This record gives sequence, structure tokens and C-alpha cells, in this order.
Amino acid sequence: MRIVTARLSGFRNLSEAALAFSPGVNLVQGRNGEGKTNLLEALNWLALGRSHRGSRNEDLIAFDRDELHVALELEEDAGARLACEFGLDRSGGRRLRIDGEAVRRRTDLVGRLATVFFDPDSIRLVQGGPERRRQFADQGMAEIDPAYLAHLTAFQRALKQKTGLLRDLRRGAVNGAQARRELAAWNAELAHHAAPVSLGRAEYAALLTPFADRIHRDLAGTDQPLVFTYRPRLESVARAVSSGGDAGVENRSGNHALEQDVSAEMDYIVGSEIQRGRPLTGPQLDDFEVRLGGPDGLDLRTFGSRGETRSAAIALILARSDALDRRRGVRPVLFLDDIFSELDRERTRRLQEMASRLHQVFIATARPGDIADWRPEGLKAWRVEAGRITDIPADGGAD
Amino acid sequence: MAWEREANDGGEFQSPALERLVRGLSRLPGLGRKSATRIALHLVARESPADELLGAIGAARAQVTNCGNCGAITEADPCRICTSERRDQTLLCVVASPVDVLPFEKAGFYRGRYFVLGGLLSPLDGVRADDLPFDRLLARVERDQVAELIIALDASVEGETTALYVQRLLQGRHLQLTRLATGIPVGGALAYTDEVTLQRAYQFRRGF
Ligand SMILES: Nc1ncnc2c1ncn2[C@@H]1O[C@H](COP(=O)(O)OP(=O)(O)O)[C@@H](O)[C@H]1O
Ligand SMILES: [Mg+2]
Ligand SMILES: [Zn+2]
Repeated sequence: MRIVTARLSGFRNLSEAALAFSPGVNLVQGRNGEGKTNLLEALNWLALGRSHRGSRNEDLIAFDRDELHVALELEEDAGARLACEFGLDRSGGRRLRIDGEAVRRRTDLVGRLATVFFDPDSIRLVQGGPERRRQFADQGMAEIDPAYLAHLTAFQRALKQKTGLLRDLRRGAVNGAQARRELAAWNAELAHHAAPVSLGRAEYAALLTPFADRIHRDLAGTDQPLVFTYRPRLESVARAVSSGGDAGVENRSGNHALEQDVSAEMDYIVGSEIQRGRPLTGPQLDDFEVRLGGPDGLDLRTFGSRGETRSAAIALILARSDALDRRRGVRPVLFLDDIFSELDRERTRRLQEMASRLHQVFIATARPGDIADWRPEGLKAWRVEAGRITDIPADGGAD
Repeated sequence: MAWEREANDGGEFQSPALERLVRGLSRLPGLGRKSATRIALHLVARESPADELLGAIGAARAQVTNCGNCGAITEADPCRICTSERRDQTLLCVVASPVDVLPFEKAGFYRGRYFVLGGLLSPLDGVRADDLPFDRLLARVERDQVAELIIALDASVEGETTALYVQRLLQGRHLQLTRLATGIPVGGALAYTDEVTLQRAYQFRRGF
């Protein structure tokens, strides 16, 4: 999948622009604060239906404008072209179009563009709390399997309901038998979604690890294997996962034995849950380990040096692209924002080498030195200055 | 192409009374501000059906009630479905709301009776098990010696959980507990079926 052209207007500080991109490497240069990330953000918006840095839609509209508009021409891997557009205005209005036709449901458009985004903050995938890793695996699995997303959404809804119920129970008088039956019903519904979510996470970790390891070896020039391992909170899940067997999509949902075990495990601690007033187990407490040197190697979450952590994070995130390609035959567009500034010379060179072999990639950098003498085939370079985007001719040098 | 917007509340009319009417109408289910405005203008026009409508609303409110036995909308209590000799009282269909009875009755294939729960378990909306008539459901099952209980609730998290609650409630009783199947709509194109529905339909595929 590639972005062939883009038209932008009213997006943050960016001037109106019509751009035609390279199918390979696109380099975006400019000093800090000139608008490089804004450009990548505009191009990536459709992948998530929101800003990758979590900004509110309204904040994306240029200070002196009331609406923004972005039109992308996409090329799918089979060669089909797709014209996607989105517009946002200050009163919360939103319009989405595919091939000139308005689409009502956000989900009809969002996700049509597959991307992988890396920026300096991505290092928290390894170093930060478990929520980051759960989100990462959830997003990766959801783009591979829509049923996973449905289970995850339902799980989160049921969890909120159960949390509400436990809060109620802690406050008010409790009709014991009925409260337990009610909780058991919520546990059964939770288990119905928690089981496939857990198996999906296990599957994703197993799918991702060999790709991440490969990339990591190339990037860090090491022989130490990198592993991404699922660490479920539920013991029934841990048992099911370690007893192995490739779950596969078909077995993931409708695994009644596991659903029953999960629901029994939840029922078992219901007394403490009522006492504490919140759910005490479930996939919402899962984590993933990132280890260097095999399954018993160094736990990078706590012991990784900054350099090790960075390489591992890059490898994991880039591996998402291979996983998506393997399972869905889709090659996502890659965004690498300010990524070289985080790496030493050798790793920068290695990543550049990899980037030239990758699918379409957008690289933003404030340090021309990082990319001096780098001329991958089909390179297109852009300069961003106070929001104005101009292209740097192929022989113009990266000064 | 129209922008999707939140209804703005600056009155665009030169009449606060009309503005009030539009707001009232737009609170009705399925009506946005735009259609509410169209209806309001129609209602205040010279040839307005408003008086007739007011009468009809009053009469309906006075006469329509919920069946004390099943909860369906009716003028006679108990309702015709509950009193009909031709309806099998040992076949009981549990639905969430009185409107859920309508599609069954319109289709006309169902020969059993109903039990309207009046809601679904949803602690976040303040609906707990004591807020739903599960006691009456149990009494009904006993009284009518129900042989099959069909659960026809929404395929949402709340609908599923309510179904699971009923299942637990009836555990150990001699009756068959069933629920509606999900799958590809008849006349629906396979190509436009959402992935989740398709996966369910696949999971519950059947032999010829
Ligand atoms: N809604 C907006 N309207 C106009 N300018 C904006 C808006 N949001 C951010 N900016 C400006 O964008 C600039 C930051 O751009 P950014 O792309 O993050 O820089 P960098 O080139 O370092 O990646 C800042 O000057 C900021 O004031
Ligand atoms: Mg930036
Ligand atoms: Zn009745």
C-alpha cells in the first residue's frame, strides 16, 4: 500500500500543498518546529481516524482557519487506486469520502490506509507501562483479524459494566446470592470475550517475535535473540497458552473449554472483588515481556540500556509491518519521525539500509548530517520551512 | 455534501414558541433537528393536522397499556396473545422491550407467548438484577409449565449478559433453553456482510 499523492489545506501550520510522493523513500527535512511531524500526522490520520500523537481533531485545524481538508490518493498492493478524503471543522463536523462518495460510518474509511508509525516516544513501548504493550499488540492483531477487534471492544464494555457493578455492590446493601449470580453472568460474558482476546494476544506475540528478532539482528548487529512474550494475568490462559498448540483464528473464538476456565477463575475470586470494589484479574492486566538473549534473557522493560531499548522498540514496531504482510498480504506505509536522532552512526546506517529495502517510507529529520550521502533509489526529498513544503531536487543535495 | 454537525442551539426562528416545538420534536427517537424543523413547520401551517394528532395522542395515552402478564403493548389486559387459545403457553419467548414483540407478530410464524423484561442488565445505566422482573419470569415458567424458553435479546454485551443471567436463573429446571441464531440476513449479499457476523455464521455452519 502506498500514498501516491496528497493535497492538504488548513492542517496545523502547513501551507496548502499538492504533493506527489516517491513509492520508495520520502525524506522530510527541516529544523525543529517547522512542521515535519505535522505533515506525517496529516498523512497518517486516516490510518487511525485520529492523530497519532493523541491530539484532538480540533487542534489539527490551522489556528487561523475553521476547517481542514486532506485528500490522499492511495495505491493498494494489487495496483488499484483509491481516493480518500477527510475534512474536519471546528464545530466537530467531519466528512469522509472514498472515490468521491460520502461515507457515513467512520469505520468504512478508517483502516483503509495501513501504516506503521515510529517516533521517539515509541521507545516507551519497551520501557513504559504494560498498557503501551497491550495497545500495541491489540492494534496489530485487530488489523489482522476484525473479529479480534470486536471481541476486544465487547470485552472492554463488559469490563466497564462489571466494574460499575462492583462499585455499586461495595456501596450498597448486598443481596448475596443475587449479586453473585449477577456477577457470574458478567464473568461469563467477560470470559466469552477474554478468551479470544487472550489467545489473540498470544498468537500475535508468537507471530511477531521471529520478524522482530530478524530486524533487530540487522539493526543492532547482534546475535542475541529478541523475544516478545505474552504474560497473561489469568492463570487459565497462561496454562492454555503454555500447553501450546497453534490456536488459529477458528479456535480462538468459540473455545468453550477456555471460556469456562476463565469464567471459573473469575468466579473464584468474586469475594475479594466485592470487597475491593473492582475487578482483580483479566486481560486488562496482561503484559508482554521484551527480552534480549532468549526467553530467559535480559528483561529490557527494566534493565535495557537506552540504546538497547530503542533498537528493540524499532524492531518490534517494524515487525508489525511484516506480520500484516504475512497474514493479510498488506504492506503498510512506514513513518519514521525523528528516528535517526535516537541512534548512533552505525545503527543509523543500518536502518537507512533497511529503509531503502522497505516498502514506502516517510522519514523526517532535523539533522541533515544523519542523511548526508544517503541516496536510495527513487528518493524524494522535501524541505519544510514554517509550514511551507517544497521539494528538494534530486541533485540539490541535503544541505 | 452535508457536514455532520451537532445541533446548534442558536434559535434561527423569529419565534421562541416554534423553537420550543422544534426542540421538543427533536427529542423524539429518530428525529434530528432538520426533520424536527420540517415537521414543526408543517404542524403550525394553516392546514395543520395538529388538532387531530393531539386527540389521537390523548386517546392512545389513555387506552394503551402494557399487558400485566407479558408486558406487550395492548388495550386489553391481559392481551390477546396471552388469552388466545391458539397460542402455546409452554413456549415462551423472552424479549427486552415491548417493541421487540412486533417483528415476531408481523412475521406471524411464532405460536408461543412472550415475556417482556423491560430492559437489559446494565449497571452503568443503573439497571441491576433487582430492577428487572426475573421473579415474575420464574413464576410464569412455573405456572405455565414452560417447556421451551427462547431468549431473543440484543446481540450486545448487555443482551448477552442478560441471557446468561436467565440461563443461570433457570439452571436445574426441566425446560429447554434456546436462543436466536445469528448469521447472514436472508436476501443479504455475502459480500456486504460484516466480518464478525460472517465469522459467526461460519462457526455455526450446518450440514445439508
Ligand atoms: N493548529 C495549528 N495551527 C497552526 N500551527 C500549528 C498548529 N498546531 C501546531 N502548530 C505549529 O506547528 C509547529 C510544530 O510543527 P511540528 O510538525 O511538530 O514540528 P517539527 O518540524 O519539529 O516536527 C509549531 O510551530 C506549532 O506552533
Ligand atoms: Mg517533529
Ligand atoms: Zn400478554
